[in-house]
Amino acid sequence: MDRECCWDRDVITLADCPETGEGEEDLLSSKQQRILEKCCECPRFLDELKQLAGAVPPNPLAPVLATILPEFLRQKAQIQSLVSFLDNKTLEIRFLHELGSVLQSSVDLDEVLSVAMTAITAGKGFGMNRAFLLLCDREEGMLNGYLGLGPRNLEEARRVWGEISQNDMDLQTLAQNFRDTKLSSEREKFHDVLELLTIPLSNKDHIVIKALDGRRPIMVQGVFQHPDVPPELARLLGVDDFLLMPLISRNRRVGIILADNCITHRAITEADMHSLETFGFPVAFAIERASLYDKLQVELNRVTEAGKKLKEQQQLIVKMENMALVGRITSSIAHSVRNPLMVIGGFARSILKNSPASDPKRTFIESIVAETRQLEGVLDEVLNYSDSLYPTCDFWDVDQLVEASLRDTADALALLNYATGYSPGLTLPPVYIDFKQLSYCIRTMLLNDIQGIGSDRSIAISSQSVEDGVILRIEDHSRHITQSELDHLLVPFSEPRDLGAGLGLALCKAMLEKQGLLFEARADQQTGIMYTITLPTRKEEQS
Amino acid sequence: MSRLLVVDDEANIRLLYAEELKDEGYEVVTAGSSAEAAEKLQHGVFDLAVLDIKLKNESGIELLQKLVKERHDMPVILCSAFSCYKDDFSAWLADGYVVKSSDLSELKQEIARVLAKKALKVKAGT
Repeated sequence: MDRECCWDRDVITLADCPETGEGEEDLLSSKQQRILEKCCECPRFLDELKQLAGAVPPNPLAPVLATILPEFLRQKAQIQSLVSFLDNKTLEIRFLHELGSVLQSSVDLDEVLSVAMTAITAGKGFGMNRAFLLLCDREEGMLNGYLGLGPRNLEEARRVWGEISQNDMDLQTLAQNFRDTKLSSEREKFHDVLELLTIPLSNKDHIVIKALDGRRPIMVQGVFQHPDVPPELARLLGVDDFLLMPLISRNRRVGIILADNCITHRAITEADMHSLETFGFPVAFAIERASLYDKLQVELNRVTEAGKKLKEQQQLIVKMENMALVGRITSSIAHSVRNPLMVIGGFARSILKNSPASDPKRTFIESIVAETRQLEGVLDEVLNYSDSLYPTCDFWDVDQLVEASLRDTADALALLNYATGYSPGLTLPPVYIDFKQLSYCIRTMLLNDIQGIGSDRSIAISSQSVEDGVILRIEDHSRHITQSELDHLLVPFSEPRDLGAGLGLALCKAMLEKQGLLFEARADQQTGIMYTITLPTRKEEQS
Repeated sequence: MSRLLVVDDEANIRLLYAEELKDEGYEVVTAGSSAEAAEKLQHGVFDLAVLDIKLKNESGIELLQKLVKERHDMPVILCSAFSCYKDDFSAWLADGYVVKSSDLSELKQEIARVLAKKALKVKAGT
């Protein structure tokens, strides 16, 4: 028998077997493997098998082999098909796993939407050319066109798809890239379509609402002739068929995805629809969860804000209780001390007024009057100090503050021939201050130790608007003292006075500091004293 | 001669006011409580009332409100031991406000100012 076939040789060369090619060198030395993979389909082997059946005497195994061989080939083909199917399914599961991981780990609505839209349109994903997302607004009863993704023409498609294939990015990176660079521009790009895809949920004849209410995906074919597709929408989409995939979560309508192949015009298959259907559930769930998280965040912020306000209220209540206590103590002191002082001093003055100048007791009475006056001064300052502990701030007009203070001190200043002037700044904003205390401070600065000495008896006040505040300057040109002397005056009870306790300027400083206001007092022996107060224009400016 | 009603719960202060204001040429009637003031007001006409803001166990403010309501043509000057309330009360219902002091010149000036203002008002009305 002239054997052309090499099936029974242990080792062969590439030239011996017409079925073996380059890259299959491992088969040359493996007889068993070669028979299983190549020989069954080799014409030489089949020819030899025929010859075996026709041999005399006939080989009894020949008909058996003839029966087994086609069945072997059929099963082999079936296994190959199943392996291919399995490979595809493995890829699909890997993709869904990646998608699921991203969707489950995100509570950011934009991130979820970016991932979902990228998955539909990416080649590695469902590979649709274009997709639109519509979200339900149950309160307004609307289905709103929210986001679109995909190229608008062939040129853009080539460029975008080229970039994607060059960079070979995974789904998450693609989605991140989309979110960072294209989310708003894509929304703008598809503004017209999204507007047309904003549909009242009550419009039951619209194909999109029908798909949403039906809670099942619909493949819309023959778009231009379809009775439920508005002609304007068909024209704008410019495709013959598209797919509608409702997003349903816990039986609630979340939204819908419209996808098409506007560039390649590849027909949408049942398989596309089923794949997208599987994908729809996690997307709907993720969108609803992210929306709920957003709402939760808003509610949390509200609760936090309410908690903050409550704390402020509690602090205010404590402060008011303290104020009430201080108020009661102050009231008690004021009445228990001031009334007797008034009676003693008042009658002493009355007696003094009616006694002749030659009366030897006049000196004693004058002493009573002077001491009473001093005690009344001390009492005034102590009461003012207790009042300064709890400033009550509100927004006030700076000009009104200065003018009221000047009006109150006008008589005393005029008596000593002092000239005052106010230069208001342009367009001053309202300032957040305790008007009563600030008014007291300005009056005190104007009247503090004015003695009517010096040639320049003038006090100039000016205001100036600065960032987040107004600067108020009081320049007393008549007093020429050193900085250390002025600093001394700013310390409470630092020196005995004829009148009061020497609290005037020190009290002003304490009041201003209590309100958190910036206060500066500068003395120059040549030019005089300049007080500078920075008044805040916002509540939080104060400490 | 203008007739003044002085309301203060301290007898010595009433006496001091009465003496000093009489010297200024006013006719002075005093009351130590709201009830006594009401009684005096029922039986006489006054050109002005000088009222202590804090009377024993009662508020001078309440009496002020009553006076403004019932005797709106009679001006009232409030006296208080607190200088810090001046800004608040001066914008209130009272026509004048003075801080209690052994030196009554501020009170006397305020009385003269308020009475002069009242006289101008009456003149303008007739």
